[in-house]
Amino acid sequence: MAVESAAAYRVIQPRARRSRSSLRRWYRRNERNVLGLAGLVTFFALWQVSSNLGVIDDLFFSSPAGVYLAAVREAQLPRFWRDVQYSLTEVSVGFLASFVLAVPLGLLIGWYRRVSFAFDPWLNFLNAIPRPALIPLVVLWVGLGIEMKTIIVFLGGFFSIILPTVEGVRTVDQGLLDVAHSFRASQRRLFASVVIPATVPFIATGVRLALGRLLIGVVVAELYAQTQGIGVMIARAADALDSSRMLFGVLIFTLMGVLTTELAGRIERRFQRWRPSANLDLEEGN
Amino acid sequence: MATISVGSSPLARPTPRMIRLVRSNERLFYGIVGFVVVGLVWEAAGDLGLYRKSLLSTPSLVLTAAIQDFGSGAIFPDLRESFVEFSLGFFSALGIGIPLGLLIGTFRRVDHFVSLLLFGIYSTPKAAIAPLIIIVFGIGLESKVIFVFLLTFFSVIVSTVAGVRSAAERHVDIARSFGASRWLLFRSVILPSTFPFILTGIRIATGRALVGVIVAEEIAANAGIGHYIELWGAFLQTSKVMLGVVILGTFGIILGEGVRRIEKRYEVWRQEIH
Amino acid sequence: MASELALSARGVRMEYRDRSSDTRLVAIETMDLDVADGEFVSLLGPSGCGKSTFLKIVNGLLTATAGEIRLRRNGKGREDAMVFQDAALFPWYSVLDNVAYGLVCAGVSNAEARKRAEPLITLVGLGGFETKYPYQLSGGMQQRANLARALAVDAPILLMDEPFASLDAQTREVMQAELLRIWNAAKKTVVFVTHQIEEAVYLSDRVVVMSSRPGRILADIPIALPRPRALEVKRSAEFTAYAAQIWQLLAGQRAPAAAAPES
Repeated sequence: MAVESAAAYRVIQPRARRSRSSLRRWYRRNERNVLGLAGLVTFFALWQVSSNLGVIDDLFFSSPAGVYLAAVREAQLPRFWRDVQYSLTEVSVGFLASFVLAVPLGLLIGWYRRVSFAFDPWLNFLNAIPRPALIPLVVLWVGLGIEMKTIIVFLGGFFSIILPTVEGVRTVDQGLLDVAHSFRASQRRLFASVVIPATVPFIATGVRLALGRLLIGVVVAELYAQTQGIGVMIARAADALDSSRMLFGVLIFTLMGVLTTELAGRIERRFQRWRPSANLDLEEGN
Repeated sequence: MATISVGSSPLARPTPRMIRLVRSNERLFYGIVGFVVVGLVWEAAGDLGLYRKSLLSTPSLVLTAAIQDFGSGAIFPDLRESFVEFSLGFFSALGIGIPLGLLIGTFRRVDHFVSLLLFGIYSTPKAAIAPLIIIVFGIGLESKVIFVFLLTFFSVIVSTVAGVRSAAERHVDIARSFGASRWLLFRSVILPSTFPFILTGIRIATGRALVGVIVAEEIAANAGIGHYIELWGAFLQTSKVMLGVVILGTFGIILGEGVRRIEKRYEVWRQEIH
Repeated sequence: MASELALSARGVRMEYRDRSSDTRLVAIETMDLDVADGEFVSLLGPSGCGKSTFLKIVNGLLTATAGEIRLRRNGKGREDAMVFQDAALFPWYSVLDNVAYGLVCAGVSNAEARKRAEPLITLVGLGGFETKYPYQLSGGMQQRANLARALAVDAPILLMDEPFASLDAQTREVMQAELLRIWNAAKKTVVFVTHQIEEAVYLSDRVVVMSSRPGRILADIPIALPRPRALEVKRSAEFTAYAAQIWQLLAGQRAPAAAAPES
């Protein structure tokens, strides 16, 4: 190689030696979680400090310590656990019912193209109605009890699941259907081997949407018709200006929300083998 | 023996114009048919006494209620109140949430710092906080606006951050390859990449904001469509309840469709490279 | 060689640390490469052999673990410009703005950049499509714009990362011939990455054959076919001989089974 003056060439250097410190390496690998945790801790710290210093009104906003104490108190009351059970029942029964009904119906409707066109306007319309707006109506039907809340949850889940399911059946790749036809597959086999697997990602999306929507349904329904449930606990605490207890109730719903969002996300990811388009109605709950 | 000539098969009769029209607009045609048929079934079932009218009312009764309340203008204050609550909360949240989301998404460390916190707040059903907000801010317009703001804000910020995160790595590479400054990278790659996601986020937020209006009104309000529904529900006036529900559903669809149209126009910008 | 060296690499090595298992992946074992001014050199090898990685190191998108690369300074600006593989145009910019992008990044005003971009659009055969958007163009046309963008920056070295990989066979051949025509007109130094033997032999002055991961140079083969080369040369005996020779070299190599982060 000819010896050139240094100025004639730009030299690209290699990476400087990485620090061997294993702590640094660990940090770099886990930076996202460390920072995220730091964010949470900062939030709670600020909250606590503002409360202690009187920057925010303790009466309205409570403090992490206050919420913790409320939690400890509540956990010892059987009424609390009854409320939890009540809310959980609404959620699970409502959701399961909606799933069991919406999926087969959705598959059926979606399969007959003209039928799906016919039902589209009504399904979309009903889906666009904010669930809370249906509460007074449902109250007219079944009163204020646990049935009302379960039905609200059910309605939320039903329309959230049926629409993507119909969409999924409608957009099954014609190529796959052709393959099945050319092998003279029976209608039932066609359905089982092509249509249902192809629709699963869409159903998964619907489940995710449903899980999100139904949590709002539970909260609002319980706030509205105060019989039992965590929502009722919140409302009563609010009336009594016991913000610690109220926020504890909110925390429980947050926990439920986080769990369902995570769960829903996992379910959807597990079943998303392919995405036909980036625009799979990305609606989420809460 | 007859020769087979394409195009003159006995099956190729000239089809009546009507049928051809139907075939090309199948979706619309069957949609309308379906809509009308269900409406008729609903009406018939109600009139025939298959169910108690106080449960579901009938289209004709709802229409009557509509003519009544729109004609007399009784419903207008409620419409206006809900509309104002929605607009103030929604647009202010967009104005703050989107730039903030862009900021957060652009700086990776900031993104990581707030992401767990944002996720937690985002997953919380804000409705649970509604009583607190009503207590702090009262029963009037402010509490509703704040509530709608909160719902929209967290919804929009999460989708904006997700949009920034999804800026195609290939495009970022190209900008860096040509030596783009950080600001130019933001302007020429990140912003356009995020735009379709922001639009989707807005569309989702409209649904949430609408829910927010209704929830806040149902908890404590003197006016608004949510209040209207609740009031007439208490008086067992199902037709009016249905009217309110129909109004909300229509509004929801119009909003949703409106944003969806805009989304489609920029669909090309959403390039996903895996 | 009497001519100047545009690029000179010594001992370039690239290691990745796999974040989850904390093992080390060696993408490039070691590479020494000299490219003279105006030469057309191909880096040829199986998937995952590190050829694209090398290009990215030269371009600055990646930093090598070891080794040095010297690029002949260009008084007027950048030394190198990259032509990316597929999906390389911004969907929200017109063809004109896409081609002008490299200049804008370098600090040129929008108006001036557009002015300089126009003759290049004609050069690559896209005259009349300035105002079209990428989704309105075919794959071949998009890659022409991609090429024009890199040319617009007027850097003496062109780095091309499998630019024709996503094109169908016919378009690919047309683009190869086009590339030679443009290269002749623009007089650049080209480092061209590909995994297609035929493409490498047709286009290059030299074919540098690389092994599979961890990548190192197996052979450096000068291609003595006369220029200008029409597509028919692919049918000639000499061409076939070169291709066969290279094929033999590569026959012992297999693409690694594990997914490679870079090729």
